[in-house]
Amino acid sequence: MTTVFLKREVARRVFAKELVSSTYTIRDESEKSPLYVLTPLGLKCNRVFIIGVLTEKEERGEDGNIYRIRVIDQTGSFIGYVGKYQPEAYEALEDIDTLTLVALTAKVRVFEGETGKFVTLRPETISIADPESRDYWVMETAVQTLERIREMEKGESETAKLAMEVYNTNLEEYKRVVKEAVERVMEDYGEFDVEEEMLEEEEDEELELDEDEDLSFEEEEIDLTELLKD
Amino acid sequence: MERVEKLAEQIFEDYKDYGVDRKEIVEKLRKLLIEFRVPENEALRTIRNYIIREYGAPATIRREKITKIEEIKEPNKWVTVKAKAIQLWESSSPSIAQVGLIGDETGYIRFLVWTKAKKPPVEEGKSYIFRNVVVDDFGGVLRLNVTKISEIEEIDEDIKVKPPEDVSEEVEVVGALVAIQQNSGLIQRCGVEGCNRVIKMGKCPEHGKTKPNDDLRIKGVLDDGYRTYEVIINEEGVKALTDIDLEKAKKIAEETLDRNAVLIELKKMLLGKYLRVVGTATPRYLIARHVELFRPDIRKEIEKVRTLLEEV
Ligand SMILES: [Zn+2]
Repeated sequence: MTTVFLKREVARRVFAKELVSSTYTIRDESEKSPLYVLTPLGLKCNRVFIIGVLTEKEERGEDGNIYRIRVIDQTGSFIGYVGKYQPEAYEALEDIDTLTLVALTAKVRVFEGETGKFVTLRPETISIADPESRDYWVMETAVQTLERIREMEKGESETAKLAMEVYNTNLEEYKRVVKEAVERVMEDYGEFDVEEEMLEEEEDEELELDEDEDLSFEEEEIDLTELLKD
Repeated sequence: MERVEKLAEQIFEDYKDYGVDRKEIVEKLRKLLIEFRVPENEALRTIRNYIIREYGAPATIRREKITKIEEIKEPNKWVTVKAKAIQLWESSSPSIAQVGLIGDETGYIRFLVWTKAKKPPVEEGKSYIFRNVVVDDFGGVLRLNVTKISEIEEIDEDIKVKPPEDVSEEVEVVGALVAIQQNSGLIQRCGVEGCNRVIKMGKCPEHGKTKPNDDLRIKGVLDDGYRTYEVIINEEGVKALTDIDLEKAKKIAEETLDRNAVLIELKKMLLGKYLRVVGTATPRYLIARHVELFRPDIRKEIEKVRTLLEEV
């Protein structure tokens, strides 16, 4: 348990929209590879770092020993399950009320239900965050998302090719999602000219874009024993 | 089954220029490994000797395309390297037999030997050829994996290794503190002159039971979304971040009758926070010289996003 680097996967910066749209899972060639989700923008990830608003916290499980949480960011919402088997996150969560800004590091889990696969989080740490950090998170996540979009446009890397094949990703839609997320933060920093410029551009595009696609997914009752697995 | 195929492929690659028949190798290998349950290295040796005899291939043949460590830049590649074992670290998992750092004249890389690979242990200071090891990427750091189909051969040559001071570098990292390890907080160090090792279970690994000194530190993981850094923050750094110094930490422990209370407090204050660390990055650790809670310049970040938005 001491040599962390051995099993340390990077905590990726991903907006809810991208992560929740992921349904495809892959492993590396090497032995002992963990299971990753492949996102529609070609990111392979099994751990994320998120800053968002905790909007729901319900006790679940037979003796209420599991919390189901919802954390929302600028683009959608993440669902997570925190059991007593993650004592650090569980105890921290007990002291945090809903409608609080939280930072969480979480493992990504994919559940296969009858209506399809969906992504949930299993938080490892959860703590109260401040608005400035949230703004920074939105910016770094925007940057990293745009870098992925660029890779998808190039279409050279294996994961980008695979993601395009699996999801037939609409890159314009993701650009719009990033723009909107960033604009919401910019309002607080008085970047009005930028904002208008962007909004104008967006009006042109709006005709082409479909109605907001289903950001929400039908969530099914999860077999909670899954949470015991590492 | 698939393994027989892989091993055969390896041999075939070595000897294909001598008119070796691939199918024949597969059949022979299958017989040795599956029917006769011969150990793998013995099976490989048998086949090689057979080929040398039957096809007149030279005994010393090796495909031996040695890759320099500095040339290893991406995961999922199979390479053969000639390197010296610099340092062995504690393995954290029964599935990993050995883990550590190897180096050649061009650089260093982490390596690990899976228990399932069943290899004789590598020793610090000795030089080896690591054949058919696969590169993977963990936390943004490349590692060489020694698996069942890899080979480790000790060599007499004493490989000159790039001096470590050329490898450690001054860096500035901004990242989220995503984990704080258990051996953080109010810790004890061995009191023997010049030792200073961290006391585990009441004992210094070198001197056993000694008179310990208290210390305050954080061993944690800093993560910027691209890679992770195992960061070490000393008392001064902890104080800069939390206003808790060694005296305060001792007081917390006394009041709560629990040394662990310090760690709990540090976790509460720092997990999930963005830190800016200036320090020395060694192949294993990022040792913080200066550390602070990161105050982002959001306008600058917005600029960055705008530039990228124009590009895509
Ligand atoms: Zn000692």
